[in-house]
Amino acid sequence: MEIKILGGGCPKCERLEAITREVVEELGMEATFTKVKTMPEIMAYDVMTTPALVIDECVQCYGRIPGKEEVRAWLEASGE
Amino acid sequence: MNITETLLNVLQSGMGGLAAYLAAHVLLCLLPAFFIAGALAALIPKEAITRYLGRDAPKWLSYPASALGGFLLAVCSCTIMPLFASIYKKGAGLGPAITFLFVGPAVNILAISFTGVQIGLDIALARVILSLIFGVLIGVLMAWFFRKDDIEHAKSTENNALFSSKATIPTRSILLFLLLLAALLAGTLQIGLFQNVFYTLQLPGSWAASVQAWLDSLIPPDPSLGIEGVSVHGLMLIGLLIIIAAASLKGFHRIYEGLTRWTTVTLGLITLTLVFASLSISVTSTGLLIGLNGRFIAEIIILGAIWWVSSKAFSASEKQEWLWETWRFVKQIIPLLLVGVFLASIARTLIPASWIQTLAGENTIWANLAGVLFGVFMYFPTLVEVPVAQTFLSLGMHRGVLLAYLLADPELSLQSILITNTVIGKKKTAVYIVLVTIFSTLAGLIFGWFVN
Repeated sequence: MEIKILGGGCPKCERLEAITREVVEELGMEATFTKVKTMPEIMAYDVMTTPALVIDECVQCYGRIPGKEEVRAWLEASGE
Repeated sequence: MNITETLLNVLQSGMGGLAAYLAAHVLLCLLPAFFIAGALAALIPKEAITRYLGRDAPKWLSYPASALGGFLLAVCSCTIMPLFASIYKKGAGLGPAITFLFVGPAVNILAISFTGVQIGLDIALARVILSLIFGVLIGVLMAWFFRKDDIEHAKSTENNALFSSKATIPTRSILLFLLLLAALLAGTLQIGLFQNVFYTLQLPGSWAASVQAWLDSLIPPDPSLGIEGVSVHGLMLIGLLIIIAAASLKGFHRIYEGLTRWTTVTLGLITLTLVFASLSISVTSTGLLIGLNGRFIAEIIILGAIWWVSSKAFSASEKQEWLWETWRFVKQIIPLLLVGVFLASIARTLIPASWIQTLAGENTIWANLAGVLFGVFMYFPTLVEVPVAQTFLSLGMHRGVLLAYLLADPELSLQSILITNTVIGKKKTAVYIVLVTIFSTLAGLIFGWFVN
């Protein structure tokens, strides 16, 4: 599974990454994490606000930090 | 005067400035302002504003919406740039994007309330009104200068699903925002309704007078330099602030793991401190004179309402996010602010007043331009521009020039110029900088005439 965190590296992005990493670990999944920091690359995903979470090239949420339960549901849905 | 004595003097004025800030102003102004900034960042869905910023939005709607968005959404620098880039490249285009970029840092709720308390309501209001007007004007001008590019831009962007959301700002968020704003105003407005004491209590104890004498010897008040000194009330508040800071580490730092008893304790402490800060307390020879005033009653009612609304209308995860954002702002801004206040207070004793008076004591074009250029080349972190401005004011800077400086400083820092450059390119950035410089200078001049 390929997980991308979009955002310039502000505390929110770090928080999003930490939450996602926790859930991935809890689910015992294999995932690579990539940080996407430059504006053109972020814009290519059609997100307007960061941080954004992209799982297997699919934007799951942007502009906010999702709860752990939400992240778990997305990861499980993408893992199937 | 020998060197140690000079050094001691300088340090003393730095500490004095710092203590006076913590005691008198930070509490009733900055505590609510940080909670407002946190609520704006956490509880307002960005789509509620961006839906008016799409390609097809009419101009009369997209410019005001950008200005409003700058105020509501741009409290965090990490939202400004992506939003700016999206509005420019995929949404309403260059003009509204520029308006958004301009208004954001200028009408930041923290900066405005801090300016109001420290420097004066006139400058704070001028900062808001002129920023909104000039933000739209600069946006319109930029769109007009580069109208050819905009037509090509229109061809290359189809109407984007990004901007088609139907989200609105929930009523409960608006209610909470208004209550927090009321708390801020009740704590800071200097009007009779809040200031008049209707009941006094006399606490006996001769210690109060000796503590005040000790404080005055430590940090001598000097009205000619604008140094206020610290009162007994202020000393107690500084103590409470330190306790709050310690409790926050327990209550807020790991907020994402859940709302704990420590969170409630910290919030309770903050509430009590705000109420205590709103009392009028003075020292007499026989003890402390505590005056109950309108501010005290107003804070109790408003803070009670805030507790009630936030416990009834918001879920645990919303509250968590709100507190996390608030705490993040505090961590990001307060340390820099404290250092900034310290250094600005020191500068007050080191810079000869005659320099400032010659350079910026009169409301002329050159003085205003000097204010703007100083703002461009000196980069101060958010809010630090306010104590710096206060130092200038006490050294004799004209209020018009001061406004020009306050408008330009958050707008044009080297860092923000570089990032803007990567989004819109060198030519547009250069024109933008020139426009902001001209308009900030003009703003100072116009405001200066009003003051005179």
